[in-house]
Amino acid sequence: MAKVNPDFSVELKKFGGFDLNACYNCGNCTAVCSLSTEENSIPRKMVRYSVLGLEDELKVSIDPWLCYYCGECSETCPQDANPGELMMSLRRYLTSKYDWTGFSGLLYRNMSAYVISFLLIIIGIAGLSISNVFSQEEWLHYGHYLEMLAIAIVFAFILLPNIIRMWILMVWNKEKKFSIRKHFLSLDVLFIHMFTQKRSLSCKDDRDNKVWWFEHFILVLSYLLLLFTTVFLNWFNTENMGIIVLGYIFSGIIFVVTIDFILRRIKKKKEKSTFSHPSDWFFVIWLMLMGFSAFIVRMLIDFSVLEKYFWVYLFHITVLIQWAIIIVPFGKWTHFLYRPFAIYFNNIVQDTKK
Amino acid sequence: MAYNYSNINDYDVLVIGGGIAGIEAALNLAYQGYKVILVEKDLSIGGKMIHLSKVFPTLDCAACITTPKVSETARHPNIKIYTYSEIKDIEKLGERYFTATLVQKPRYVTDACTGCQLCEEKCPVVVEDEYQWGLVGRKAAYIPFSIANPRIAAIDIENCTFCGLCEKVCAAGAIDFTQEEKRSTIVVKSIIIATGFNLFQSERLSYYGAGKFKNLLTSMQMERQLVPTRPYNNVLRPKDGKVPDRIAYVLCVGSRDKSLGNPICSQVCCMYSIKQAQLLMGALPMADVTIYYIDIRAFGKGFDEFYKQGVGMGVNFVKGKIANISEKENGDLILRYEDIDSGVLKEATHDLVVLSVGILTNPDFEKLFKTTPLLKDDYGYVRQVSELLSPSKTSIDGVFVAGTASGPMDIPDSILSAGAASTEASVYMKGGAS
Repeated sequence: MAKVNPDFSVELKKFGGFDLNACYNCGNCTAVCSLSTEENSIPRKMVRYSVLGLEDELKVSIDPWLCYYCGECSETCPQDANPGELMMSLRRYLTSKYDWTGFSGLLYRNMSAYVISFLLIIIGIAGLSISNVFSQEEWLHYGHYLEMLAIAIVFAFILLPNIIRMWILMVWNKEKKFSIRKHFLSLDVLFIHMFTQKRSLSCKDDRDNKVWWFEHFILVLSYLLLLFTTVFLNWFNTENMGIIVLGYIFSGIIFVVTIDFILRRIKKKKEKSTFSHPSDWFFVIWLMLMGFSAFIVRMLIDFSVLEKYFWVYLFHITVLIQWAIIIVPFGKWTHFLYRPFAIYFNNIVQDTKK
Repeated sequence: MAYNYSNINDYDVLVIGGGIAGIEAALNLAYQGYKVILVEKDLSIGGKMIHLSKVFPTLDCAACITTPKVSETARHPNIKIYTYSEIKDIEKLGERYFTATLVQKPRYVTDACTGCQLCEEKCPVVVEDEYQWGLVGRKAAYIPFSIANPRIAAIDIENCTFCGLCEKVCAAGAIDFTQEEKRSTIVVKSIIIATGFNLFQSERLSYYGAGKFKNLLTSMQMERQLVPTRPYNNVLRPKDGKVPDRIAYVLCVGSRDKSLGNPICSQVCCMYSIKQAQLLMGALPMADVTIYYIDIRAFGKGFDEFYKQGVGMGVNFVKGKIANISEKENGDLILRYEDIDSGVLKEATHDLVVLSVGILTNPDFEKLFKTTPLLKDDYGYVRQVSELLSPSKTSIDGVFVAGTASGPMDIPDSILSAGAASTEASVYMKGGAS
């Protein structure tokens, strides 16, 4: 028996901006959605669940992850209930439910928590640099080991357990007779959606959507490649001309694309960039700062003036650590993992049902 | 400014708009002895009601109710009708009077016209007939429609080629190409605004393909297909003249939709769609009729019974708003919607689709006044300053509102509203409280 919880919409409001109770259940959103299908008719069901506060149903739902915020539902909603933003808020809500630490939920609901945790990291780095624990060479030398360590810890202790929790909710709870074989056979789905986001191309068939997709696509690739270049190819310490140039290109792309994404959110021309939760701003601004500061640091190295402007390197490291231990495990970054995994799990469940 | 006050006692009341509300108000006042001037912008009085097939929920013939009232108005000694005319620059004159400019547009046919239609026969120009909502054509010299009043031809000067054939053939010598716009000043004691409503222009909705898909009609076009003087003499789909089998109604087109700027219910679409569905079941006994709705609002006397009668007759009611319409090669239309009962996305094919377009304000009343504007409400209708106690009172003392100029309503409510407006105007002119 489902229990109706009318207070849930108040709770959900903290995750985004929409007017749930305005919905009069006409189903326009589901019918206008280019990604909606007979098997997965989105998003009105999610609106209903949210109005009624059926958290048990919501927690195991894959529907929010099938939505790419094309925006047509919100543009044409006769009640201005903003179903697109609701789906976005549900993704934030689900992210907080998958996270075993509970830190995601705290950050999404309170901007002050974000600011405090960012400040703590700034104080930490400032403290280390003032107390001269590391010399400049040591900073440069250990910097990328520090990154490696952060990545390993975040993956092993936060993201991996969260994905297992997600698997329990989406697969184990629904289909006890799942097959291991299907998990292997569907892996292509996981990687295709992780690296191409090709479903978003099924949104409105207009130029702007294709441009957006392309920008997002190269942003993801550049981000992953820059990570690889800095962390594993040791960009800041290498003499290899090829690696140096590649690093410049990747960080440059990140900087340019994120600037465009920030401008989209400021201009609010398209439905998908109309509402910006603090977590959206942190995500896109920190990504921009990361690309930008990496580019400048390498330039300072190439002109051999890094010692003079060492604070730039410290700024870069600060941004990087804030990114790696706040935004990656608990913030918007997680959609890079959760979305493809949700599609992958859905594929397995649907296959098993057949 | 110098006014000619010699005509100060010619009229007591100015009624703007010759639809059912304006006619009713004019008649009520005329029978009480007031001199009424009724100004209609169109070529004929009768408004929208005169074009309808039947009325809900009684299924009475609309023309059979309207035409006697129209004739009565036209023949009443206390009513002077100006068709194809407009009112401008209304101003207060002292405490108890208004002045206004009456603009008579030239119809290029004098009152000598006998309505024989010879000019229409001879005229070589064919254009879309707006009185049949574009379903068929008409001539550039034409009687607006068969039960028009006055039954006087008009020349559509925009499309006229000045071939002179009409002039030659007219036995009464009524064609007069030298006519010009006439302006005169009138003085009245009270004004009734009965400017009515506009239908929602479905062409605004690109996702329905209105104006692009041939087999997509508006409810007014379907209304014309169901009247006794219907243009095709049968219900046919416009693209290929086929008798339709699977007819769909899309409700709330342009109503209850904030994204289109009209959040309110039009009050009549549910019922007129159910009415048309029932008439269609009579006209085409083999056809399936489906009505796609958000909510069925059958709130009036006998309305719910009328709805149940529709269900009983086999009209198929599906809850779900149509999100978009696409066209197949054979002209059939595909409707995409979420079936709310099952929560599943569906597509349905129909060979004729009717958009039940809603009611919007007719903003013409805003241009009537010269100095003090008539206030409007949140939805653009004439503001009723005392909606509960004195529903026809407006922001200007002595100006009253009747019918759909104050908001969406059906025919009985429009007539009631006209009754209230005429009574309040009468009381006002007697010097009573208003």
